[in-house]
Amino acid sequence: MSPSKSGNPFAETAAAVLLTALVCSGFWIIFSQLEWTRSSAALWRYRDSLMQGWWATLLVSAGSLVGSCLIAGLLLLGQRSGLRTVRRFTHLFVEIIRGMPLLSLTLIGYYVILNNRQISQVLESVGLEGKMFAGILLLSVFTGAYLTEILRGGLESIPQAQLDSARAVGFDSRQVLRYVVFPQALRRVLPALAGQFVSLVKDSSLLMVIGVNEFTYQARAFYAATYLGVEAFLPLAVGYLLLTLPISAFSHWLERRFKAETAA
Amino acid sequence: MKLHAESLTRTYGEVHALDHLTLSLEARVLVLIGPSGGGKSTFLRLCGGLDRATSGQLAINDILLAGDERHLQQWRRGNGFLFQQFNLFPHLTALRNITLPLEKVHGMRPAAAIEAARISLDRFGLEAHAEKLPAQLSGGQQQRVGLARAIAHGPGILLLDEPTSALDPEMTAEVLELIQELAAAGQHIILSTHEMGFARAVADHVALISAGKILESGPPAELFGSPREPMTQRFLAKVMRFS
Repeated sequence: MSPSKSGNPFAETAAAVLLTALVCSGFWIIFSQLEWTRSSAALWRYRDSLMQGWWATLLVSAGSLVGSCLIAGLLLLGQRSGLRTVRRFTHLFVEIIRGMPLLSLTLIGYYVILNNRQISQVLESVGLEGKMFAGILLLSVFTGAYLTEILRGGLESIPQAQLDSARAVGFDSRQVLRYVVFPQALRRVLPALAGQFVSLVKDSSLLMVIGVNEFTYQARAFYAATYLGVEAFLPLAVGYLLLTLPISAFSHWLERRFKAETAA
Repeated sequence: MKLHAESLTRTYGEVHALDHLTLSLEARVLVLIGPSGGGKSTFLRLCGGLDRATSGQLAINDILLAGDERHLQQWRRGNGFLFQQFNLFPHLTALRNITLPLEKVHGMRPAAAIEAARISLDRFGLEAHAEKLPAQLSGGQQQRVGLARAIAHGPGILLLDEPTSALDPEMTAEVLELIQELAAAGQHIILSTHEMGFARAVADHVALISAGKILESGPPAELFGSPREPMTQRFLAKVMRFS
């Protein structure tokens, strides 16, 4: 809970002035290094590749978002399988993926997938760009493992009384999940899910190490060509915020909508 | 309603929640009394088809409550159940709590389900709360909505597991009143309660369950008026001390 009452007006004003001064001097330090004419001309010249990078990041993120949900769904089913071997395997898989840095997963996955001639031929024949496909797949697996644990926590947090009530009104086991467990679990894990999706967008920047032409890759290319550091990476930060802030805002909006219900 | 339990046993690990319980009776309103942890809830869960006996037999209206989940689900669909608390689905309005099972379990069309739910809510004086979420209702109102949901489809038997134990005296009264109304209207009911005055007033058969067994059972006038078993006398003396 955030404290809602405001402090005394003098302290509030002083804090506002101080923080504004701090932010302004930060911006001044950053922007004083810019040579505006040269910078803007360079940025203008590279606008297409930077825009392409941003769109690629959007595509990778959107693709991985869908992919990670599918993978999390499969893993959840695996965790609830009737076969103990499948349950054990799923748990182990999730732990291994979560225990690995995304960077090493990306590199290993990339060399396994794309260095395999058969696989890359198949990908080519169906018209998929190998690096992009590998990137989306790897990011989906990585995020999927995290989503699985978030969703499992949510599902297990639904009290037994709700399951009893749902059975008592005559729902079969699928209806219990669909009408009672999932809607409530989803509301509970929403903040965590949104956080994971924000991470996903940011994590997509790591895919540059396998040569996916995403936003960070293009910003670095721009920097390499022009040696304009701040000019390259400031737009990069803004570009990611354009993707992540709406996700956070959407999640906060949903949270507010559900607040009354979860109070019960 | 005919009920026949033969050596009914339900164990949870080492614990014998029901221990060779035997009971045979015909009643319209059966009230279960007895100390907490004595097996009332377990017996009600078995009667409601929510749980299965470890051994022994239970038949209600000559229907054997055993076999696969489908059979038990069929049984649950034909009856109504109300727990002590947390009956309602917190993400749905009072009205939706009632219409959802009517649509998905009883195959009613949405319009017909709303109609039936409104009748049920009106009957309990809840029409003003139809669009509220459970969190916006008092405990007593929540139980009344739960009751409205349990009777909306016209259940054969209404099973109530300590329906007022989580409520304060005022709310308890408003819920007990409704149950009494239902009983007077001919609804078949099995309920467990700690409200002895209510048990006596509403029951036409009372069974005292303790340590997983029937300690004594009979018409309320007999059981409350002249209990045979010393343990029944002790239990009644204890719970009636302040009433």
